[in-house]
Amino acid sequence: MQLFTKVTMSLLEGLGTTLKIFSLTLIMALPLGLLISLGSMSKFKVIKYPVKTLIWIIRGTPLMLQLIVFGLGPGLLGIRGMNMFVAVIIAFVLNYACYFAEIFRGGIESIPKGQYEAGAVLGLTKTQVFFKVVLLQVIKRIIPPMGNEFLTLVKDTSLANTIMIYEITWNAKRMMNSEHILWPLFYSGVFYLALCGILTLIFNHLEKKLDYYKG
Amino acid sequence: MAILEVKNIKKNFGKTEVLKDVSFKMEKGEVVSIIGSSGSGKTTLLRCINFLEKADKGQIVLNGEVIFDGEEHKKMSNEEIRKKQLNFGFVFQSFNLFPQYSALENVTLAPKLLAKEREDFKQNKAEIYREIEENAKRLLNSAGLGEKYDSYPCQLSGGQQQRVAICRALALNPEIMLFDEPTSALDPEITNEVLKVIKSLADDNMTMIIVTHEMAFARGVSDRVIFMDNGVIAEEGKPEEIFTNPKSKRLQEFLSNVRM
Ligand SMILES: Nc1ncnc2c1ncn2[C@@H]1O[C@H](COP(=O)(O)OP(=O)(O)OP(=O)(O)O)[C@@H](O)[C@H]1O
Ligand SMILES: [Mg+2]
Repeated sequence: MQLFTKVTMSLLEGLGTTLKIFSLTLIMALPLGLLISLGSMSKFKVIKYPVKTLIWIIRGTPLMLQLIVFGLGPGLLGIRGMNMFVAVIIAFVLNYACYFAEIFRGGIESIPKGQYEAGAVLGLTKTQVFFKVVLLQVIKRIIPPMGNEFLTLVKDTSLANTIMIYEITWNAKRMMNSEHILWPLFYSGVFYLALCGILTLIFNHLEKKLDYYKG
Repeated sequence: MAILEVKNIKKNFGKTEVLKDVSFKMEKGEVVSIIGSSGSGKTTLLRCINFLEKADKGQIVLNGEVIFDGEEHKKMSNEEIRKKQLNFGFVFQSFNLFPQYSALENVTLAPKLLAKEREDFKQNKAEIYREIEENAKRLLNSAGLGEKYDSYPCQLSGGQQQRVAICRALALNPEIMLFDEPTSALDPEITNEVLKVIKSLADDNMTMIIVTHEMAFARGVSDRVIFMDNGVIAEEGKPEEIFTNPKSKRLQEFLSNVRM
């Protein structure tokens, strides 16, 4: 029993770090993703193509590789005192911003031209058309793919253990090694399941809320 | 004085000349129908009149004021274009209602946003909103939608959606209403309910341009009919002349193909 409490405490401590990575990533990657998506749809080629290249590189290489680059790269270049946690957040934010950007772009481009034109002939400004006409429709369309990304992010936080961030998976592995037992690994899975369960409920609720109209 | 003068409008899409020098005038309260075969440029003309499309050359004159000049258009700011668009109400073939808003909200959205630009908005907000809503309800009632204030577009038939769209355009008190094939997307049984609403506007002396394939309706409702062919006005005149005594070969052919 004492062992169970000990493992639980350790995993809860890891949960704190996991949640920190999760929420910091979302808070920064969502607005950055919107910016990147606008950049990728820009009329100006000097903006559009560099942004598209960035998206291609980030989505085309493993997050694990990006974590190592940001975690160990500065040290190899002789920059001392780079905080590992900061490195993890940079890698996650950049990675997720690019995925979010593609989801935003898909959502924005799926809105029929007629909606913009109807707004224009009614004398709405471009800003009003975006916020009063288009935005909610985009949100409705991107909720399902966003839900997927949020779940993936929960599980991806475990990658941070490879560069010594003490999140759930790290702590589970530490317990396994120090106590010579296997079950903390499965126990850690319960934490991820619970987090994903809560997120699924929230997203289902959001989907229902916007179900009052079709189109 | 003419309420609207369209002068020498030209428009190309890439290398295709879609409008080749189109000119016409209309008087206040006049109803003009535009007929013509598919691809003859009817939609493009209508879209050029209210700036959804930018004509390459020509002028649009409203109440004697040049509101568009192909030569100077590049200098016009978005804000100016927006203000000028408000002179026209536009009804699309595909309705383009806002799906997330109820019928009533669709009609009140733009007037409410525009009201914010009024100087007395802050003091009289409640009063202004109440007037806008009453006006919207009055419009919906007269279009036979008194029961449908709170219905969302997805809960309405095509004919009902198009009637909401007409109310939405009317709510801004436009000088001229432009209709682009308002019944083409509808089943034949329900075109009449929309045509009736348009007819009642004509009876109230609304100035209107109606692009339509409904020849019987064009004949019944219009003061004048314009026949477009291949980017030019091939013939125009009173409905009786156009339909019973067409002069040009192209119009004769066109009418024999669509004969009612
Ligand atoms: N945005 C565009 N880009 C390129 N070509 C266009 C565009 N819009 C219209 N056209 C072309 O311009 C011509 C006239 O089109 P328009 O839609 O004005 O015809 P219409 O008379 O309204 O036809 P319909 O009766 O089928 O609606 C067509 O050949 C069409 O292919
Ligand atoms: Mg057309």
